[in-house]
Amino acid sequence: MSNVKCAWVLCAVSLLVSGAVTACRSSSAKASNSASDFQPEPDVTFKGLEGADVSLASLKGKVVLVNFWATWCDPCRSEIPALISLQDKYSSKGFTMLGASMDEDGVKTVDPFIHTTRFNVGGQQRLMDYPIVLGSDAITDKFGGLLGMPTSYLISRDGKIVKKYIGVVNEQQVIKDVESQL
Amino acid sequence: MPQSAASVVKTKVYASLDPVPRGKEFQVAVIVDIANGYHMNSHKPLDSYLIPTTLTPQLPAGFMLADTIYPPGKNLKFPFSPDKPLNVYTQSVTLRLRLTAGDTAALGDASIPITLRYQACNNSACLPPVKVPVTAAIKVAAADAKSKAVHPEIFAAGSSH
Repeated sequence: MSNVKCAWVLCAVSLLVSGAVTACRSSSAKASNSASDFQPEPDVTFKGLEGADVSLASLKGKVVLVNFWATWCDPCRSEIPALISLQDKYSSKGFTMLGASMDEDGVKTVDPFIHTTRFNVGGQQRLMDYPIVLGSDAITDKFGGLLGMPTSYLISRDGKIVKKYIGVVNEQQVIKDVESQL
Repeated sequence: MPQSAASVVKTKVYASLDPVPRGKEFQVAVIVDIANGYHMNSHKPLDSYLIPTTLTPQLPAGFMLADTIYPPGKNLKFPFSPDKPLNVYTQSVTLRLRLTAGDTAALGDASIPITLRYQACNNSACLPPVKVPVTAAIKVAAADAKSKAVHPEIFAAGSSH
């Protein structure tokens, strides 16, 4: 058995014995894209911060990264600069971010946050200027439930969930994944 | 992130006196064991947007709360916050209530419902804030009843008894 094969066998045994799902992963976010994940996007409608409905179906034709986050979540905050960059880089090519806040207070907390909190994006102090909506437990249930934040879902132009990221996204990985869908 | 918010901690509750005489201060300790790899914000996180750990008793009639004692957290850095430390609790933390059963507290067995609120994260993601109910079971006795200090391993340090 080659060293590489041996390493994988050891790793697999380690997973079986310890149940430590993370043992063989190197990135901070746990991404999955097995065939079973290529399921249709759920039929959900978010509330915009000004009360308008924003359905996922209305974004069909675009590649969408739905990012469940909260203002109290430091890991969520840490990835916001990368998400602003994604929106900057790919919005003209048929991509959009959709940040779904899970803050309990909803608009009361989120609206001031997005208008006052700035993030360092390539040396510039930027607001979170991609589309922000309000999430809810009912909505995350339709995505299969949400254990932690941030959790993000990459949705293809034809409305399929092609990848799920649990935890802070690896910027290079998500760029690669978005580009693969454009 | 395999765990639900409520399953990240396990709690044990102890009272410092048995029984608790009316008019005498006693303490209730809630020992919070935090799952390996997780942390929760301390009672005084360094940033105002973070959700602090709190312990809130729902006092039965005749009981009074003098103080809630939160230990200081530890300043630790995490992969998602490599430059800025967070003030957190890890592994195990003991939160305490200083209470008195007043003259009107009912004699006999009593339960004090307590709500532990916390928000936990691991190195990559955070669980939603959660409120976990716990209960302190005590026995209230007359003011002149004999009482013994119990669980000195928990209450000796910082206790008024």
